[in-house]
Amino acid sequence: MTLLAAQVAFYYMAAASVASALLAVTRRNPVHSMLWVLALFLHVAGIFLLLQAEFLAAVQVVVYAGAILVFYLFVLMLLDLPGEEARPRFGAHWPLAVAGAIGFVLMIWLVQIEMVNSGGAGLVSATASLEAAEDPPSGSVKDVAQELFSTFALPFEMASLVLLAAIVGAVVLARRRAPS
Amino acid sequence: MIVPVGVVLGLSAVLFGIGVFGFLARRNIILMIVSIEVMLNAVNLSLAGFSRHLEEPSGQILALFVIAVAAAEAGVGLGLIIALNRNKPGASVADLTDLKG
Repeated sequence: MTLLAAQVAFYYMAAASVASALLAVTRRNPVHSMLWVLALFLHVAGIFLLLQAEFLAAVQVVVYAGAILVFYLFVLMLLDLPGEEARPRFGAHWPLAVAGAIGFVLMIWLVQIEMVNSGGAGLVSATASLEAAEDPPSGSVKDVAQELFSTFALPFEMASLVLLAAIVGAVVLARRRAPS
Repeated sequence: MIVPVGVVLGLSAVLFGIGVFGFLARRNIILMIVSIEVMLNAVNLSLAGFSRHLEEPSGQILALFVIAVAAAEAGVGLGLIIALNRNKPGASVADLTDLKG
């Protein structure tokens, strides 16, 4: 892909993800919101691809868009919320929420501009980027796997414990109590 | 890198802000949790951007862990919502005033 095509693709994905995120948080029908979140996740997966994070893009589609979102839709439909569209979408305090969100974004932007101007100094150790520069970049997925199963092997196993705890917790919480 | 890292970070900040707004303003408890997912996705985006910028795969690995924890959080959060719904039908947070003194 040429650079220009990649840039056009990136800016399309960026605009589409912002638009679908906005639609997701403002739609009246919760199912429509959920479908816009699906569009957001797929566009973010596209951005991951453009950033050469292929494995992350695959996980984003399979786990986020495939599993987590379907889970949310299941619960949403299980709850059966009649008249949800007639109820107000936002609390009465929504202008405060807008102000809070804008303030938050401006705050992050200030920090980011500072960071980018200083060339990322203080964020990452200089050695890390030097080492990376020495060995030629191979396949991204291979690099990720190498790192995941060597340096991050213990956290990887811990993640499975976290998921196990979540499974047990979800079953215990959602179980119907026996009448005593 | 096809675009400057600052553009990716700015996009990530905007998506995060939309998630913050959704969490603070929506009254439906499920959509509040979905807004948290939007925020987590924004963070993953900036992690992937840094990973590309610094040619360092550990950013992608952190993003993978974020996705794993998001899955766990979705499971527990939705279990809580189902338990809550059994006691008090409806999904509006405005109805949950039992702790009010």
